[in-house]
Amino acid sequence: MDFDKMKDAVKSIEMPETIKSRVKKNSNLLEKEKSVPFSPKKWISVACAIAVLLLIIIGFPLPDRNGNIASNFTITAYASSVDGNQLYKNLSEEKAIFELATEQRMGLITSVADGENNLIFTDVILKVTGEQIESITYTLSEGKFIEDVIFTAKERADKEWLLSEKIYMMSREPGSDVYQGIKEVGNTYTVNYNEQEKHKYTLAIPHDGNYVIDEDIVIQVIVKYTGGNMEQQNILVTQESDSISLTLK
Amino acid sequence: MLQQAVGSTGQDIERIVDTYGNMLFRICLLILCNENDAEDVVQDTFINYLTKSPTFHDSEHEKAWLITVATNRCKNMRRFNLMRRHIDICDLQLYSKDVESYGLLDHLMKLPNKYKIVLLLNYVEGYKVDEIATLLNITSSAVKKRLQRGRVIIRESYRKENS
Repeated sequence: MDFDKMKDAVKSIEMPETIKSRVKKNSNLLEKEKSVPFSPKKWISVACAIAVLLLIIIGFPLPDRNGNIASNFTITAYASSVDGNQLYKNLSEEKAIFELATEQRMGLITSVADGENNLIFTDVILKVTGEQIESITYTLSEGKFIEDVIFTAKERADKEWLLSEKIYMMSREPGSDVYQGIKEVGNTYTVNYNEQEKHKYTLAIPHDGNYVIDEDIVIQVIVKYTGGNMEQQNILVTQESDSISLTLK
Repeated sequence: MLQQAVGSTGQDIERIVDTYGNMLFRICLLILCNENDAEDVVQDTFINYLTKSPTFHDSEHEKAWLITVATNRCKNMRRFNLMRRHIDICDLQLYSKDVESYGLLDHLMKLPNKYKIVLLLNYVEGYKVDEIATLLNITSSAVKKRLQRGRVIIRESYRKENS
């Protein structure tokens, strides 16, 4: 397959003359309708002054002595380490690396899928700490948040309940009446600051079929303060061999 | 410095449509696979250009701005119009005079958009990985992976058709 031919193939496409004329005509009409030309330069100084005032009012983070933007909240990622202990890492511009813990779920779950993508299930959970925070909203650019859940045999028999809760059965302990499963939370969720411990939502990230993360993922973290102000930080998720790394973008 | 005059003239419109019209149309058509949508996005892009009157360092900057606006609008349109008709290969004759290109174009149009856009920008518009990353506001490694994956999908698609 010669990809260089793609250039010639695509460049052979031309906009039909009828469309070109229509686009020009419509654009000209728009120009005539603009009776008072708008000059953005006139408004730059006014806009700047308003922006500065707004930033002061909403308490926008200002650069510290080193020129870094100081945020008013800290994001901590944690997961189980190989020896079973919890590994806590405050996220920064340095990479925080977590080993991929996929064995427990690999091959067992086929129901949870991100569109056409397969998912790598990690044990990484996010938590925010800061002052006067009301709620936190996490949004994944690709993939889903999921939660490990347990349920009884009676609940398992209620297929409609499982479906409505988006719970997918994973396994059952031998001789036990307790089932383990995965609850699909979605690509975004909002949690109250004081209720973070109640929600153990982990990251499920799409892979290319060979357990390689298809592309870098961005997690948007928006914090809403009790005063109504909001602040945002973005986390970049990348793959490092059999680990994933999280850095503030 | 290339600066669009305040209160653009008819000549400005002629210039940008003649210079960038074909390029934007083919990108939008391949992403949206629908002539009317492609025309709407191209029109919107030029209207955006005229109303915002952006200032550019050079013609490359101007071209990159138009591509960014057009591809973003295509993405938005795709989000709100999930059920789009794929252009039949026969319809390609309306836009491309090169018969030998139809097969390749058809394979390209069937690619998921995220791969299609980076392949178009790299192979057709000649942008480098870092430049595409800036245009699409994604990381360079994401661009590389999309290019790699896009090539694999097209190759497999070709292989299946010819086997």
